[in-house]
Amino acid sequence: MHHTVDERRLRELCEESDDRHSDAMRTTRESLAAFVDVAGGERPQDRPAAEATAAEATGPDRWPTADRTGRRGLLRSAVVGGLAGGGLLAVAASARAATTDVAALQTAASIENLAVSTYQTALTLPFIGGSSANPVIRAFAQKTMTQHTEHAQAFNAAAVKLGGKAQTGTDPKYAPVVAAAVPKIKGPGDVVSLAITLETVAAETYVKDTSLVTTPDLRQLFTSVAGVEAQHQAVLLAVQALLNANDAAMIALPPPVAQLPKAAGSVGFPNAFYPTSMASPAAEGAVQ
Amino acid sequence: MSDSRSDIGISEAELRSATQALDELHRATFPAVQATLADIEEHNRSVVARVGTAAASRRGLLLGGLAMATTGALAACGSTSGGSAGSTGATASPAGAVASASAAASRYTGDLKVVALAAALENLAVAAYTGAAKKAGAGDYGTVPPAVLQFVTTVKGQHAQHAQAWNGVLTSAKLPAVTGTPVKIAPAKVAALNATSSIAGVATLALGLENGAASTYTYAVSHVTNAQGISTAASIAPVEAQHAAILHFILGQYPVPDSFIGIGDAVAPSELTV
Repeated sequence: MHHTVDERRLRELCEESDDRHSDAMRTTRESLAAFVDVAGGERPQDRPAAEATAAEATGPDRWPTADRTGRRGLLRSAVVGGLAGGGLLAVAASARAATTDVAALQTAASIENLAVSTYQTALTLPFIGGSSANPVIRAFAQKTMTQHTEHAQAFNAAAVKLGGKAQTGTDPKYAPVVAAAVPKIKGPGDVVSLAITLETVAAETYVKDTSLVTTPDLRQLFTSVAGVEAQHQAVLLAVQALLNANDAAMIALPPPVAQLPKAAGSVGFPNAFYPTSMASPAAEGAVQ
Repeated sequence: MSDSRSDIGISEAELRSATQALDELHRATFPAVQATLADIEEHNRSVVARVGTAAASRRGLLLGGLAMATTGALAACGSTSGGSAGSTGATASPAGAVASASAAASRYTGDLKVVALAAALENLAVAAYTGAAKKAGAGDYGTVPPAVLQFVTTVKGQHAQHAQAWNGVLTSAKLPAVTGTPVKIAPAKVAALNATSSIAGVATLALGLENGAASTYTYAVSHVTNAQGISTAASIAPVEAQHAAILHFILGQYPVPDSFIGIGDAVAPSELTV
């Protein structure tokens, strides 16, 4: 296999990427910390507007938070009204919502755990993590595994703060799929194909979960991670196309843009709207 | 470029076949999205009816503020929906157009303001890719690789679909469609596009737009309350992120630099000028 990649440049790019990632993680951790702080005690929409976080307080000028405040107000009124009347109904509804949120987070963590495990296994293969591997594919597998680890941590942190358990296991539907596929792997293309399946399931599940979970912060978390899984999928689709065309040498950083086939410019994003047909149910990977 | 393909032994037929299969998958998916959008439209129609916005009569006011062109290339967007945004084919003053748009009182509020912003951002993306394609055709970037042209064509089409989707929500709510680029960042983007003279330059500009869109939608899902609006933003944000990943790749950068899509590049609704 001929590689045109400049490994030194690739390392530099990875370091730059790590720096950027570290910066982004600081912001994300702050957001996540703000989320889990409130989630640990009370759900954000249950809080009165006066108790909104500093981050939310910046919203009115930048974003129309009136609806959020209004909904909190409505919920607060509902709770007050509930104390005088149907309080048990309000409590039950809130409990159901929290249960759904925790299940979705645990399922997400189970998918992430499976992805980490799969990339970890793939990296033990000579053509993915060994000396015969394409350096870009190897670097991608390593970094993607790290990113999935961070996703799992984020989902589990949120689940725990909501009163649930951290999910340390793997998704029960797709773990057997991976287990059956691994012994049959013969080359990079098989790994890429398996990874595409996992990334697609992850992204589609989170797109769907964005509409399912009940707090704004959880919606943001799921959308934030869905975008990254979709990016993994885009890269893998492009890699798969080049592998299928028997031109692994094109998988390089920087790529030989002038020589890339026309179709390489669009194969990574097949849908204008991200589908959800492969999304896992929220409870699929919930802790039993 | 067909020569270079044959030189490198790529089976274009295989790639084309794969792309066609994916395109068919997209077409199979789109009806479901349209059905969802129909739900959004219905929902917003009822919301508007409840709050008594009655903004239909204001539709004409919008059109005056949407003219936006640059060197004849940054034409109006959303043409597939029949909207006209002043594609004059001549150099115009983006700043003037935006100022004109700013002068009009905003008729978009709450969730629908976010929807209008989304439509405007999509239009801006379409305009930018249209302008880039025209500059490429004029030879401003030298020989443009076929993969890059394919990227521009496909991405432009997807952004047009996004704009159409968002505008469908607005029109069903009896609000005017956003058929131009009424956002404050537009003049700077226009100037930046006009200044590009290389593939790397225009790819960097496009990357900024894609990151801005992905970031905006990621932030939007936590700031709108309309369920169908949330699901629409959630279904578009990953696609913008995918565009960004491929642009990183074209630029020779690591394609997935961050573990989480941030919100730092989000464009605020206050940037909307109509």
